[in-house]
Amino acid sequence: MDVQWSIIIDFIPQLLAGAQVTLYITVVGLIGGIIVGTVAGLMRAYGGMILNGVAFAYIEVIRGTPIVVQVMFIYFALPVLADLRIPGMTAAVLAIVINAGAYIAEIVRGSVLSIGRGLTEAGLALGLPRWKVVTHIVGPLAFRRLIPPLGNQCIVSLKDTSLFIVIGVGELTRTGQEIMAANFRAVEIWTAVAILYLVMTGTLSLILRMIEKRMRIL
Amino acid sequence: MSVVEFKNVSKHFDKLKVLDEVDLTIDRQEVVVLVGPSGSGKSTLLRCINGLEEITGGDLVVNGISVRGGHARLREIRQQAGMVFQQFNLFPQFTALENVAFGPRQVLGMNRRDSEARAMELLEKVGLSDKAHNAPSALSGGQQQRVAIARALAIRPKVMLFDEPTSALDPELKQEVLNVMRQLAEEGMTMIVVTHEMNFARSVGTRLIFMEHGKIAVDGDPREVINNPPNDRMKDFLRHVQ
Repeated sequence: MDVQWSIIIDFIPQLLAGAQVTLYITVVGLIGGIIVGTVAGLMRAYGGMILNGVAFAYIEVIRGTPIVVQVMFIYFALPVLADLRIPGMTAAVLAIVINAGAYIAEIVRGSVLSIGRGLTEAGLALGLPRWKVVTHIVGPLAFRRLIPPLGNQCIVSLKDTSLFIVIGVGELTRTGQEIMAANFRAVEIWTAVAILYLVMTGTLSLILRMIEKRMRIL
Repeated sequence: MSVVEFKNVSKHFDKLKVLDEVDLTIDRQEVVVLVGPSGSGKSTLLRCINGLEEITGGDLVVNGISVRGGHARLREIRQQAGMVFQQFNLFPQFTALENVAFGPRQVLGMNRRDSEARAMELLEKVGLSDKAHNAPSALSGGQQQRVAIARALAIRPKVMLFDEPTSALDPELKQEVLNVMRQLAEEGMTMIVVTHEMNFARSVGTRLIFMEHGKIAVDGDPREVINNPPNDRMKDFLRHVQ
């Protein structure tokens, strides 16, 4: 077996550039996903029939289809359908936004509903408007319960970016694939790629652990 | 002037009729004790007063404001009707003091200092000033319920609604809550109390209402109707709770 770990060193800059793209897609995508997910989750929890129905349909469609299909649809099908040419990077970020958004919506809904009805009633009975009950009572409590599953979703989304290899976005996995195609150093390159993913997800886990510790989870 | 007036009020949950054309007028300083078997509509009757349940027929007027007048009017009613729940429902992320100060601050728009001074006054009144900075989870059930009473009083309500305030408490903790309620009644607070505490009804209540199938079956002086129940169903009921 011919394994030369030292060759990795030559490809570190290239791999780090790929990791940077991965991080960029993840961070921007998740910021969007959290916004979309919060809105959709609140629509599910508090919306009337129409808002609830719209959010429900969105969540079911996204959760029921693979993310690879979603990003292919955005990248290859939208241009045909809407004459809309979307760059690969944008398609990748968009895919994370809508995909993570659907899962985060369910997380938000679950956390909000896990806060007992009694607390909402206590707030309303004081004469608070409903939005203030959400922002001052239910929201802060739900937020603490949201952190662990939200962290989980962040890690899943980070790893999901590797699937964007199918639309040729130069993220970490794609970068590894390109290097491998040139030198066939499968063991060394895929080990290096895996370690880079581990470093990123590990850092994310650590940050989450710290947030959880700082907030008393009620 | 009446504080609460039910005019032919009905309440349906889908097909189920929980309140059946109820007429009821409650005047200032009355202490009305609502009793009845489970499912008779007594909690629903109470919760209609501050709009936690929406009435489906008739009209209900609280201090001159109809519960059917929309969100803003409903919030006015809720500021005039303090509510105490069976499960206390204290906000777990706040201390006892913050729980009581929350209403004055967020509803009445008082500043932090004034709202906390008011909260401290009320905690003293319910005998819990030494627990002001404790979290609800660090308080006994009886203490939590007394904080909840202080929280409801903090928005200066004209009427207090108690929904089985001692039902979730161990027997030895009920009394401290009932004592606070007795004190409130003596100060002239108008109170509507859903409870099974017949001793409280007898000694503090000025009026007892026995509900059955969503209707008011008996309405009279507590001592009189407890000693001589005017119908068999109530006689039966009293045997079970006493």
